[in-house]
Amino acid sequence: MDLAEKLEILADSAKYDVACTSSGVERAGKHGSLGSCAQAGICHAFTPDGRCVSLLKVLYSNACSYDCSYCVNRRSNDRPRATFTPQELAELTIGFYRRNYIEGLFLSSAVLGTPDRTMELMIEALRILREEFHFNGYIHAKTIPGADPLLVQRIGLLADRLSVNIELPSEVSLNQLAPDKKKTAILRPMGQIAVQSAQSKKELAVYKNAPAFAPAGQSTQMIIGATPETDRHIMDLTEGLYKKYALKRVFYSAYLPVVEDRRLPALNFQPPLLREHRLYQADWLLRYYGFHASELLTEEEPNFDPYLDPKCTWAVRHPAFFPVEVNTASKEELLRVPGIGPKSALRILAARRMQKLGMPELKRIGVVLKRAQYFITCNGHAPAHATRAEIAGALLDPKAFSVGVRQLSLDEFVPEALPDAAPAVHRLAAHGVAAPAAARMVREEALSCLTRRM
Amino acid sequence: MPYPAHVSDTAYCYDGSFTGFLCCVFESYTRREIPSAVLGPGEGQTTLFGLKSIPTDPAHAKRVADGLTRLGPMVKERVMIGFLSTEEEKDLILLRFVRCCFDKGPRAVQMLGDPDVSAAFALERSIRNEACHFTELLRFEERDGMLGAIIHPKNNVLPMLRGHFCSRLPDEDFLIFDATHGTALLRQHGRVQYLAMEHYNPASDADELNWQDLWKRFFHALTIEERRNAKAQMNHAPKRFWQDMTEMREPYAGL
Repeated sequence: MDLAEKLEILADSAKYDVACTSSGVERAGKHGSLGSCAQAGICHAFTPDGRCVSLLKVLYSNACSYDCSYCVNRRSNDRPRATFTPQELAELTIGFYRRNYIEGLFLSSAVLGTPDRTMELMIEALRILREEFHFNGYIHAKTIPGADPLLVQRIGLLADRLSVNIELPSEVSLNQLAPDKKKTAILRPMGQIAVQSAQSKKELAVYKNAPAFAPAGQSTQMIIGATPETDRHIMDLTEGLYKKYALKRVFYSAYLPVVEDRRLPALNFQPPLLREHRLYQADWLLRYYGFHASELLTEEEPNFDPYLDPKCTWAVRHPAFFPVEVNTASKEELLRVPGIGPKSALRILAARRMQKLGMPELKRIGVVLKRAQYFITCNGHAPAHATRAEIAGALLDPKAFSVGVRQLSLDEFVPEALPDAAPAVHRLAAHGVAAPAAARMVREEALSCLTRRM
Repeated sequence: MPYPAHVSDTAYCYDGSFTGFLCCVFESYTRREIPSAVLGPGEGQTTLFGLKSIPTDPAHAKRVADGLTRLGPMVKERVMIGFLSTEEEKDLILLRFVRCCFDKGPRAVQMLGDPDVSAAFALERSIRNEACHFTELLRFEERDGMLGAIIHPKNNVLPMLRGHFCSRLPDEDFLIFDATHGTALLRQHGRVQYLAMEHYNPASDADELNWQDLWKRFFHALTIEERRNAKAQMNHAPKRFWQDMTEMREPYAGL
């Protein structure tokens, strides 16, 4: 099998891994080695599905000895199998990196025999890359659940970011769908990485040349929609992970049916892309906006509103918090206004030290006022007046009703609900309603419902 | 200390260099006026304003440059980066911004509610964004042991790319050719120079084509068909960059 074929198979097997970020570590280049790292991360290409390619995302091998039912690489699935050699992988990384195709390497692997053996092979590949090829770029490595703590420590000294996938949001689901993976086997390395990473940070503060253990921290990912957990359960879990294990990111991946299994949704199941989007929005609210998971969802409303983003939902539920005066409000208060994000908030804080802010100033600052104008005052005056229905119309998320056009032949175009439109739109469209009409009907329904709630 | 000035109906005409631009600022203070337009060479044949040609005087430029240094790195950086823009209005925007900073002090740089400051901020941001796109989407090709890349930027972004790529490839020789403006950034034997260049047509190389083919196969293997979203792709990598990107240039036939 030639290298191109191997690369194709192992990239295809790795594509369902979501994490492709290269952020969290700033490292300038130095003579004698190749590469540098940027704190914010750099994306290098965007595939037709709109996801970024930042790292050479491949599996070391896809010949798995486990049989997790949601996974393409499960033992019982009939697929072409391939395994890299450490040398091949290192040469490929360097070749791509020099051409500015990638920011570094993302190395994961199927379980090749035992977790320990798999980790040893991965460590060898990374060692060659770092020590023989003097690669100074970004490396994201996946630890294999169940591997020895000593191996986790060794890989942490070679990689910038480590991740352990918790795969499914609850232990019950894990036992059901991934019988070879145990909850403790997943959480133990996560705890170890959190402790060692914090310790290494302390040492680095004292000794400049202390070895850095996973300087860009760790992340995890879970599959959404394959099992019956509510959004509330997922958000609580996410918050717990951020607090307890100091994770940098939690990734969500809408379940895509890739294998037939009676324990899983059917193969024609629509991946819950809008739900995934809402979870990411809420995740951002946790990390950058100072929200708590308990504020976003309640026992009575355990799932996110498909038509309204989580921040608007919170704003609609807390009318007493508004309006916020832009000239005096604190950063935390500004961040609660729908339409004002961390960047706008910082710009408002900086600008108002020098001048009073009114509507024209806010526009020049670049604040998106479509939603924000109904939640703020400028010098005590409300900048906009509108009926409830108009405000509700501004708050509804257009993404939930998005309709695109599909080209059937040279001059035949059919409107079609986009994959991330609300499930109700897809259901109506499946019953034969034209996509634009379906979207309009669902939007009217959502609008009248929201107007009543306000 | 504020310097009162009114907008006059003169248009300044200068040689297009940064020194020349600083002299325009100097002139605007000596004449106690803000010009209605500032024109580089080759512009302004159609203007209705009275033209005033501004001679480039290094001594005057130095006084303004020292003043900018006193205003702090944020002001100076905004002017220097803003000057890389190819927007026609950029000279006037920057002149008004500089005057505003001299009047109100270094903190004027934060006054984004002010029309002059926010225009200069938008100028700087658009150039930074474009440069950022090129650190992502620029593609090198290796010919004869040297890396070369062709880009078609709107603004003169080469100085913004220099630091990033010199740090990233510390021991490599490389060349980035800006095809829109006919300039190139050449790094050879650890030294960097900017060149004026008409064409850059490196010879074809079998090994290089093999790498490009590997990359294209990887790129297409990563795509998840069920999630296809052309709009998101175009938001992140706008179409004007595609002509220089290996994986987007020609339609993929599949192998």
